[in-house]
Amino acid sequence: MEIHRRLSRDVPKRLAATIVMLALAIVMVIPFLWMISTSLKTPAEVFEYPIRWFPAHPTWAHHLKVWTGPKSFGTYYLNSLKISIIGMVGATFLSAFAAYGFARIAFKGRNALFLIYLSMMMVPPQVLFVPKFILFEWAGIYNTHLALILPGLFTIFGVFMLRQFFLTIPHEISESAFIDGAGHFRIFFRLVLPLAKPALATLAIIDFSWQWNDYENALVFLIDERLYTVPLGLQNFILENTVDYNGMMAAASAGILPMIAVFAIGQRYIIQGLTNSAVKG
Amino acid sequence: MNNHWMRRQRLLGYVFVGPSMIGVLLFFLIPAIYSFALMFTNYKFMNPKAGFVGFDNIARLLRDPLFYLSLKNTVIFLLAVPVSIALGFVVAVILNRRLYLKRLLRGLYFMPYITSGVAVAFVWMLLFHPKQGPINGFLRSVGIAHPPGWLSTTTSSMYAIDIIWVWFLLGYNMIIYLAALQEVSPELLEAAKIDGAKGWQTLRKIIWPLVSPTTFLLLVTGLIMTIKTFGIIQAITQGGPGNSTTILSLYVYQNAFRYYDMGYAATISWALFAIILVITLLQWLGQKKWVHY
Repeated sequence: MEIHRRLSRDVPKRLAATIVMLALAIVMVIPFLWMISTSLKTPAEVFEYPIRWFPAHPTWAHHLKVWTGPKSFGTYYLNSLKISIIGMVGATFLSAFAAYGFARIAFKGRNALFLIYLSMMMVPPQVLFVPKFILFEWAGIYNTHLALILPGLFTIFGVFMLRQFFLTIPHEISESAFIDGAGHFRIFFRLVLPLAKPALATLAIIDFSWQWNDYENALVFLIDERLYTVPLGLQNFILENTVDYNGMMAAASAGILPMIAVFAIGQRYIIQGLTNSAVKG
Repeated sequence: MNNHWMRRQRLLGYVFVGPSMIGVLLFFLIPAIYSFALMFTNYKFMNPKAGFVGFDNIARLLRDPLFYLSLKNTVIFLLAVPVSIALGFVVAVILNRRLYLKRLLRGLYFMPYITSGVAVAFVWMLLFHPKQGPINGFLRSVGIAHPPGWLSTTTSSMYAIDIIWVWFLLGYNMIIYLAALQEVSPELLEAAKIDGAKGWQTLRKIIWPLVSPTTFLLLVTGLIMTIKTFGIIQAITQGGPGNSTTILSLYVYQNAFRYYDMGYAATISWALFAIILVITLLQWLGQKKWVHY
C-alpha cells in the first residue's frame, strides 16, 4: 500500500521532469530538424521567421540536385563506403590480433612495445601530416584512396579497447585449452574471438563512424574530385553553391543521415564501448 | 606440454602484434621522428634548396604574433570542454532519476556526438547567419535588437565555435557520467537521505566527489581531443574572419598545406605536442591529488 501510494505520487513529478528534459533534448536536435526542413523548402522560405517547420510547398528538387548530375553524391558515397568499410574490417581485425598479443601472451619486450603505443596516443595528427604527405608523395600513394585506407587499417585506440576486453577473459579458459594441446592461434580464433563479438561490434561501429566522418585526412591527402569522400564532396558542393541554402542542407542531410541510421541500429554497442573504454580504461 | 612448445607459443606474441606494429611504425613512429627532424630544416614542398637551419624555426615561432593569437584562440576553444562537462553532468544526474522515455532522451542528447563532422558544421553556419539566421531571428523576436554577429565578427567568432563544440561534446560527457552514476551505491544515497541531506547537498557533498575520477578523465580526454581538432573550423571559417578562429592545430595545417612551409608547420605541431604532454603529465600528477575516491 505504502509503496503504491509513493509511486502514484511520483507520477506527476516524473512526468514533469520528462517533459522538461524532452524539451531540452529537442533543442539539442533542432539543427538536424532545421536541416531536413530547409532541404525541402523553396529558397524564399529558408530564412522566414518564425521558422516554418513544415514547408508550405515541400519539394525534392534540392535532394535531386545533390544526387544527380556530374557531381552526384553517388560517387562520394561509393568512395566513402569503400574507404570506411575496408578500414573498419581491417582495423577491427588487426586490432584484435594485436590486442590478443598484448593481453594474453607474455612475450619478451611486450611492455616496451606497449609503451610505444601509449606514447603514440599523445602525438597529435598535426605532427604526422607533413611527414605522411612527404612519404605518400614519395611512395606514389598521395592523392589515391590508399593514402586513407592504409593508415586507416591501424587504430591505436582499437588495440587499447580490445586489450582491455581481452584482459577480462579468465585465464583458466586459455590454460585448459593449452592442456588440451591448443595453441594461441586456435585459442584466439575458436575461444577469444567468439567471446569478444560484442566488443568487436563496438569497435567496428565506432571506427566506421570515424572513417565516414574523417574530413581532415581526406583534406590533406586527396585533391582529385573523383576521389572525394562525402565530407569533401559536401565542402565542394558548398563552395560551388554559396547561396543555395536549400541545396546545402540537402547535401548536409546526405552526409548526416547514414550516421543517424548507424547510430539508431548500433546505439547499444556504441554507448557500451565508449563507456567501457572511458570508465574502466 | 613441454618447455620447447611453450617457448614457441610465447614467440607467437610477435606474430600477433607484428602486423599492427608495422602500421604503427610506418604511420606513427617514423613520421613522428621525421617530423621532429623537419623542425630543424627550412623544408618547403617542391623546394630542393632545403637545408638545416638549427633552431631558426623555434626562434621564429617565439616571435610570431600569429602563433600567440592562435594560442589564445586555442585557449578560448578549450573553454568549451569544462562547460560541456558541467552541462553533461547536470543532464546525466537528471536522466539518472526516474523518468519516462529514458532511452529516447539519452539517444537524442547523444546524437550530435555521433553525427559529428563537417556536415553539421555547415548546418550551424546557416543557423548562425548574422542577418537572416534563425538564431538571430529568435533573439530579435525576444527583444534583442542587436544580436551578436556570431561567426562573422572577430570578437564573437571563437565563442560561436565554442557553442558548436559544447553542443557536440555534451552528449559524450553525459553518457560517461551516466555510467559513473550507476556505480554510486544507492545505500549511500539512502543513508544521506535518512540523515536529512537535501537533494543538492547530496549532489554536492556525495555524488560530485564520487564521480570526480570521471570528471577528471573527461577533462583530460576532452582537452586533448579538442586541441587536436581543426576540421569543423577549417570547413566553416578557414580560420577567419581575420585569423580570429585560427587555432593552433589549424595554424599547422595552414602553414603546411596553404603556404607549403613544412619545416615551420612541423615546429608549430611540436608546440601542440608540448601542450598535450603538459596536460598528460598534469594528469599523472593530479590524479592522486585532486581526485577524491
